[in-house]
Amino acid sequence: MGRVMAGSPLYDEVVQWMDIEAELLDEYREREWLEGMVSQEVVYQVPLRQTVERARGTGFVDGVYHLDETYGSLRSRVARNETAYAWAEDPPSRIRHFVTNIRASEDGDAIGVRSNLLIFRTRQEQTQPQLLSGERRDVLRREDGVLKLYRRRVLLDLTVIGTHNLSIFF
Amino acid sequence: MTITGPTRADALLDALDRGLPHGEIPVGLFGNQEIYDRELRRLFGRCWVFLAHESEIEAKGDYVLRKIGEDSFIVIRDEHGGINVLFDACRHRGVQVCRSDSGNTSHFRCPYHGWTYNTKGDLVGAPLWRNAFGGMPKEGNGLTKAAKVASYHGLVFATLDPSAPPLEEYLGGMAWYLDLLFGLNEHGMEIVGAPQRFVIDANWKSGSDNFAGDDYHLGTLHRSVWEIGAFPVPFRENMMGYHVQAAPGHSLSFSMAPTEDEPGPKFFGFPEELVATFDTSRISAHQLDIARRSRVMVANVFPNFSILALPMTEDGAHHPPTGVVTIRTWQPHGVGQVEIWNWFCVYKNMTPAQKDRAYRAGLGTFSMGGAFEMDDTEPWITVSRTGRSVAADLLDFKLNYQMGMPGVGIAKPVEDWPGPGISYWTRYEEGVQRNLYRFYGDMMRAEPGAWPKFSFDD
Ligand code: FES
Ligand SMILES: [Fe+2]
Repeated sequence: MGRVMAGSPLYDEVVQWMDIEAELLDEYREREWLEGMVSQEVVYQVPLRQTVERARGTGFVDGVYHLDETYGSLRSRVARNETAYAWAEDPPSRIRHFVTNIRASEDGDAIGVRSNLLIFRTRQEQTQPQLLSGERRDVLRREDGVLKLYRRRVLLDLTVIGTHNLSIFF
Repeated sequence: MTITGPTRADALLDALDRGLPHGEIPVGLFGNQEIYDRELRRLFGRCWVFLAHESEIEAKGDYVLRKIGEDSFIVIRDEHGGINVLFDACRHRGVQVCRSDSGNTSHFRCPYHGWTYNTKGDLVGAPLWRNAFGGMPKEGNGLTKAAKVASYHGLVFATLDPSAPPLEEYLGGMAWYLDLLFGLNEHGMEIVGAPQRFVIDANWKSGSDNFAGDDYHLGTLHRSVWEIGAFPVPFRENMMGYHVQAAPGHSLSFSMAPTEDEPGPKFFGFPEELVATFDTSRISAHQLDIARRSRVMVANVFPNFSILALPMTEDGAHHPPTGVVTIRTWQPHGVGQVEIWNWFCVYKNMTPAQKDRAYRAGLGTFSMGGAFEMDDTEPWITVSRTGRSVAADLLDFKLNYQMGMPGVGIAKPVEDWPGPGISYWTRYEEGVQRNLYRFYGDMMRAEPGAWPKFSFDD
């Protein structure tokens, strides 16, 4: 497994992939994202976290999640947001994904990508944003020549989630 | 000279008393600070409050950190297997001694000066004890305990009021209905992992009110779940069933087909292999029959503990709905905020694959990222905004809780209901919520040491 150096063509491709993904999610183009950028075999997880002493590590709890999605359940979520009754996101909240600190490594067909994520969210007339900060640990895989999201694990910097729902995509 | 007179909270409680017989509730209950402060003392300071499930603290020394009202309590299994509920505040200066949300330990050491407490909360030592405290007894300087602790089907409750009745008396008729979900076989239930926690800008009562039996909102607020095939019973049919005021304050609701032979989910959609293990050795034939015919059970134990069992799926294209059980507390977090603690339960004797299926189906529907629940918070946020409203006050704005009252809608009392409490057929009915607020009003006015009735026949 080798680090993909910044400035290399593959690194640029990964950064562009991340930027385009953020653009689709920020613009509510969720179906385009799902069908164009996500592998049918995706595992997409946001694990639950607790406060624990330093000696016990980062506090992520094995086997429990805020989101634990497959392609089928992601498709359900996208379909739900497309109905006329998805009140949670209609009118939609304003969302912006800030993706930074991108580090990539190559392992055969798979590209491991770690990035920092900050989601800025407001709803209705809110002036105080809801902020969700964390690290994404992704694996991208080339399928028929196209890079697809094969694994995503979002490690949130929160134990108690302060947003009115998780109808958004990380 | 001090002038005392009726406060705004008194006025709201008077308006509640006057309004309830007509199905009217003052919206200020959802946004008034004085009301909230009184709730912390008179409800959360006195009632039995749900804290944890025994399966979360199975081994000696296992603990979880939980809340009564806004205060933290350590729920810990001690060296002798007993469960203690300890106020998380050092007796020396009041410092928090429990530094993790959960774990296993033989003791808690205060980070300030080092007073150390064992799993029963007893003070067992402090640095340089002889110099510093030699001569002072350790007894009486341990962590402060909740007044009473008890569990029912592994559900651990505590109360801060020594005058509280025993838990089973407090649950009253509700115990019978908890039996028919949690006591269907000899194994009982366990928690999957740890609770999810979310904070939203709503009043805690909106959650209790909703789970007391607000089935009517499904057709509008949750309409999307039918469009994606997450829930198998159509809205109109799902309104068939019973509303039950199990005991003063405690309410629940069952979705049930009008006749037994109707197709559709039985036993909340639990898998057939699991259902084969259900019997009447711990519950009556009536209880087993209600469970058999039930598609959905949704319940609220006063004040803020809710239970939901129903068939769900997170991915209708690949998995048929299966029985999901979620339990949650609506933990007060200021008048305008609630922290939702959400646990998923499975029967202990389910196979790992069945547990996984139930967990995924629950997570994909009844959590903040779930297809069902993500819509609930949207209206609750604005209820609390209306609750703070000056206009609502000036314009004498009242909430309508009249559904199912005489002359309103089709719900009728059930004369031959086999269980405790007062039952109505069809769920077009808001008596379940009026029952919640009647007991609420009584508790909010009860003097220290005095309790309202726990049964309708007393
Ligand atoms: S405050 Fe805990 S030891 Fe002093
Ligand atoms: Fe709901």
